[in-house]
Amino acid sequence: MAETTVDLIETEEGQSSKSTQRFLTFVSDNITFGVSTDYVIEILSSYMICTLPMVPDYIKGIINLRGQTIPIIDIRLRMGKMPQDYTDATCIIILEIKDISVGIVVDSVTQVLDIDLDRISPIPTQNQQELTSSMISREDGSVILFLDCEELISQ
Amino acid sequence: MDASMESLLETYLFETNSLLDGLDELLINAEKIGDFSEDDVNEIFRSMHTIKGSSAMLEFNCLMEIAHHIEDLFFYIRENGIDSLDQTHKSELFNLMFKSTDKLRSEIEKVENNEPLETNIDSFVGEINGLLKKISGESEDAADTKSGGNAEAPSDGAKAAAIPVSAGDVPYFIHVYFEDGCGMENLRAFMIVNALQERELNFTYYPNDIDTNPDSAEKIIEDGFYIGFHTEEELEKGATVVGNAQNIRSYEMVENQETPAPEENEPEEKAVSAENNTASPAASAPAKSKSDTAPAKKKDTAPHGAVKQDLISVNLSKLDALMALVGEIVITESMVTSSPDLQGLNLDNFNKSARQLRKLTDDLQDISMSLRMVSVSGVFQKMNRIVRDMKQNLNRDVRLTIIGENTEVDKTIVDGIGDPLMHIVRNAIDHGIEENVEDRIAAGKDPQGEVILSATHTGSEVIISVSDDGRGMDTDAILAKAARNGILTKPESDYSQKEILMLLMTPGFSTNTEVTEYSGRGVGLDVVKKNVEAIGGVVTITSELGKGSCTTLKIPLTLAIADGMEISVGKSIFTVPISNIRQSFKATEEDIVLDPAGHEMIRCMDAFYPIVRAHELYNIPDACTKIDDGILMWVEASDKSYCLFVDKLIGEHQVVVKPLPPYLQQFHIKDSGISGCTILGDGNISIILDIAHVYEAARGIF
Repeated sequence: MAETTVDLIETEEGQSSKSTQRFLTFVSDNITFGVSTDYVIEILSSYMICTLPMVPDYIKGIINLRGQTIPIIDIRLRMGKMPQDYTDATCIIILEIKDISVGIVVDSVTQVLDIDLDRISPIPTQNQQELTSSMISREDGSVILFLDCEELISQ
Repeated sequence: MDASMESLLETYLFETNSLLDGLDELLINAEKIGDFSEDDVNEIFRSMHTIKGSSAMLEFNCLMEIAHHIEDLFFYIRENGIDSLDQTHKSELFNLMFKSTDKLRSEIEKVENNEPLETNIDSFVGEINGLLKKISGESEDAADTKSGGNAEAPSDGAKAAAIPVSAGDVPYFIHVYFEDGCGMENLRAFMIVNALQERELNFTYYPNDIDTNPDSAEKIIEDGFYIGFHTEEELEKGATVVGNAQNIRSYEMVENQETPAPEENEPEEKAVSAENNTASPAASAPAKSKSDTAPAKKKDTAPHGAVKQDLISVNLSKLDALMALVGEIVITESMVTSSPDLQGLNLDNFNKSARQLRKLTDDLQDISMSLRMVSVSGVFQKMNRIVRDMKQNLNRDVRLTIIGENTEVDKTIVDGIGDPLMHIVRNAIDHGIEENVEDRIAAGKDPQGEVILSATHTGSEVIISVSDDGRGMDTDAILAKAARNGILTKPESDYSQKEILMLLMTPGFSTNTEVTEYSGRGVGLDVVKKNVEAIGGVVTITSELGKGSCTTLKIPLTLAIADGMEISVGKSIFTVPISNIRQSFKATEEDIVLDPAGHEMIRCMDAFYPIVRAHELYNIPDACTKIDDGILMWVEASDKSYCLFVDKLIGEHQVVVKPLPPYLQQFHIKDSGISGCTILGDGNISIILDIAHVYEAARGIF
């Protein structure tokens, strides 16, 4: 039940101004995603998941987080990717979205970034990824897709 | 709205709602006797007075106005005695009172929902005043003939005497000015008067017709409100009361040295006459009413004080939080005491303390469970009101008998059964009881129909039944109707009596061809069924043509805790509520028989029951597939009885039931036979099976 804290904070544009927001980035199927830290409650690694019958495959089950039961979604499967065995790097990010707590299984968690909201652009429609609506390209050429959390919990 | 206002509002809602509930009960009982007792009249008067005061404080004008006029009406009745009313007036009064409590309640609901209150209540107030006029007009006529037409004189006299209260009467007085434009100055003044009366202070005030004369507000705005005291001590006490009142711009204490010490009687009489200024026919009224109002006031404060000491109202969410915490403690306790680190160690002292801890946590759990238990009487009493209204409107003679209203169940359940019960009781009267008394007499029954509402405990369940002695249900008619509505799923001849009655609970079914105010809109029993199932219960209907019908709700006593049997299937652990288990046994392949459709069945106690294989249903890998390796568990829930095939039994535990996360509701997880989950001693989760739904889920797969 070890918890990993991510304390690598890198400021992208020097001083943080009012239009920046902090995002946690994680990798799933070699794509870097970002999720606003407003939603993030904590990050867990290696947790015992209780499977549930008769639910879509991306619902891995539920976990007991200090007496609270939280459903776990495998983000790979949710986005229609191939499943992958869980490794040491695999993490569960607990999110609280509009009072609903869910955990998402990701391949690995990378860092926390301050991102200038003005630089976020919509994703070109031909490359649309499920559950994402916007992106940012960074100076080193890498791209971060932003997870649409409300989309995640709505059916 | 700031926090203190919020809590004030909460208290207001709670208090007003309980007063209205009390009123309803009182009215029902009074109507049964057909008369108000003196106590009833006082009680109504007092309740309305409280509602008026607190509504005025929170500026709910409409509520205040209604309460105010009812108070006036009952003030009159109190003064003249209920016997001055004839029977037609009484029944009018009853109807008006029911209407008023409904009106007040609907306005309170608006307050609760943050909706704007109705502003135009003139017609309703007119109705109340109309009745008051009717009653007072007639009794005044009577007074006229007796006392020679001087009914008007004393009241005029009282007013005339009351007006010029100058500084001359009393040695000390407080002069109060209210905030500009705060509105209803007369009522604000009246509330100060009330507060002073509660302190049992001796005082006079001017203008002294504040509670009846709306024009007095003008006077108060112009000249301020005067409160006179006889001693300096009382003045100071009074000043603290005034200082605590709301919306006061300024007040000053004035000492009037010139006046000689006043006579005791005169100002006192004035204080009383201010309360007593409706047109009272007898000239001796002040003295009489003085003795009347004093004990009434005492009564007013006494029961309220007692109630406040015995009961506190706690926000349900706090209780839920407590329950969750206690649940955690119970689990953590067993986690600690059965920790694998302790294996093989000889720890006498530890074990002793651990046992003590277990006992304490068990007690703690029991107590916190009992906190949530409330009696069903509140819900049952509401049915009285429904029966009464329907009796009047449908013109049927029905009595409601209530049995076991002190049965206690979990608060969530009490909240959950209100609506279903209302539907069932309405159905019983509207469809059940015969329309014509002649039909009843012809059938050899008591002309008055009877609806029995009863609640009983049986171990882990509470059984609530509504039975009527009406005409019963015509199964053929139900079947024909169901066929017309196209809700039959198999040939008509295949339906058993029980199944036909179950059809009543199919959505869109209503046997009454005509829609009445109360039932027949086709949303009834199916909603009942849904609501009851939502709180984990089942509904069954039994009926005998010509003799009546009975609707029974079986509901688990509490939703929060259950005795469960832990079972394993493959690597998964499930919990089956002990109350559902009849028997567990080993079986061999030879015992299994196949029905024509190829479903497995097994014989227990001379009957064949279908087998549901848990691993097949839930697609669990690595589970026993041979009947010989696993174990069969004969389970029963509502009308379903079958055998569940599992790998092995782990043991019996008391489990704290946790609902599944709300996010999962969208996957209809309840339909797959999972009612919730619980956390095991080692921190893992076990899924609690809902035996009735497991069978339905299994049948869907077969």
